[in-house]
Amino acid sequence: MSTLYFEDIEEGDELPAIDLFLSKDQVRQYARTAGMYVPRFTDDEGARAEGLPGMIAPGVMSMGLLAGMISDWNQAAEIKRIGTTFRSPVLPDRNIHLRGAVTQKIEADHTAECDIWLENDDGERWVVGTATVALPTKA
Amino acid sequence: MARILDLHLHSEASDDSRAPVEAYLKWLTRKRDERPLEGLVLTEHRQFNKAGDYRDLEDKYGLLILKASEVETDYGHMLVYGVNDDIISRFDFKNVRLSAQEVITEVARLGGIAMPCHPGRPTIGLIEHYQKKPPLEGVVGVEALNGGSKKGENERVAGLVQAYGYHAFGGSDSHLVSFVGLCATEFDRDIKTIEDLVDALRAGGYRPLDFRVQRPQTPLAPEVPNHGCGI
Amino acid sequence: MAVEFDRSIIGQVFDETSFPPVTKEEILEFAAALGEKNPLYTDEAKAAKGPYGSLIAPPTLVTKLRAKKFTPEHLPKFGKVGFDGGRDLEIHAPIRPGDVLTMASTIHDIYEKTGRTGSMYFIVIRNEVTNQKGEKVAVIDHRIMQR
Repeated sequence: MSTLYFEDIEEGDELPAIDLFLSKDQVRQYARTAGMYVPRFTDDEGARAEGLPGMIAPGVMSMGLLAGMISDWNQAAEIKRIGTTFRSPVLPDRNIHLRGAVTQKIEADHTAECDIWLENDDGERWVVGTATVALPTKA
Repeated sequence: MARILDLHLHSEASDDSRAPVEAYLKWLTRKRDERPLEGLVLTEHRQFNKAGDYRDLEDKYGLLILKASEVETDYGHMLVYGVNDDIISRFDFKNVRLSAQEVITEVARLGGIAMPCHPGRPTIGLIEHYQKKPPLEGVVGVEALNGGSKKGENERVAGLVQAYGYHAFGGSDSHLVSFVGLCATEFDRDIKTIEDLVDALRAGGYRPLDFRVQRPQTPLAPEVPNHGCGI
Repeated sequence: MAVEFDRSIIGQVFDETSFPPVTKEEILEFAAALGEKNPLYTDEAKAAKGPYGSLIAPPTLVTKLRAKKFTPEHLPKFGKVGFDGGRDLEIHAPIRPGDVLTMASTIHDIYEKTGRTGSMYFIVIRNEVTNQKGEKVAVIDHRIMQR
């Protein structure tokens, strides 16, 4: 984990990528913790009964993972705002790739805008969004 | 003056994007080696951003910025280029059930051009509609390369383009700054104005360009310890 | 086909729920489920020496708060199935162990779009979360997609 100041980052910086295998057990663990232990997030049959291809990860789990990517990049980044669109259900038992980039630095309040997204092995972007982070300054 | 343009993207004027136009231009400038674009066309959802004035930004970054719209019809989404007051009066851009045939025909009659976008998308793409309904009259070209599409969607469009003799163009469909220009269109002629663009789209002599980087496939086996997500 | 509904429900608070105090265990469990490694969320001792003086919750913890009423009682059904279309979260104050959170819910907007899966309605539920000190903790806009 690093501590990055406002002066240390540049527009165009890519956040360190996180590649992981999202297992069904991990999704169930999150669902349990988040009080979302319902069929669509825990059981393939139950999810199919709702018209889904199988159990899916909650959208907010993906959001939480992307927030974690920001934290991993810079533990001093304070997330002021984070917004994500869940474009496609995130199916577990496969690889997911968390990505991000610094797109704007705002001098006035020492914040930065980041693009954040989750994609699969084929580069399909299942979750896309942005975050505004406040950063400490050396000044 | 531009030959390579991103024909489909959304700025903060669209309800589902927070991307400022200047941030798009900065990103293109930074990425010009990988994505050699000379201009972009803002295709805002369900509106024409008449008030948007980007001339200062054009001068500052040396990139062409044109304005257009993405509307929703009974044959899927369409990009409308060359929006003018007549077209604005004729159609309620906020209507998500516009008649595709009327849009194609009337926009052309009124001096613009309407072109189906992401035609390969399941359920709402043109290809799906053509399976259930008669083909539209007067379609000149379709967005054969859409940056937001899933695997297989763009490939399906090749069949459509061949079957109907449609021209093919590309656009990123970017809602995020860093996705600008990942897909674009290369024209054989210079585009300086929206009129040039409409003429060029009608005439042909353009093709989609794909600037997306293919990630090397390094699948993680289930036995590999997960980064971060501990059980 | 467009669904008719009473637009006066927009902006009206339809639910206010207070929650039991946030526990340290809850925070640690949530952080573990997301694989968080930041000591602010995972290490009580280190976090106590940090800028907040205590363990704090990962920023998305507020999304697990479940109101007594998810939507207003008389909201028409805009579709057969509902899906989470996305969330926008503003974070105003950290959440510490012992915080008592209250959440007020309103319908912020209802609109129709045609998207990846056809015609769909979006119901935007706005949750405003405050703590026992009356401080604004977070505002969450939850876009529920119904089709």
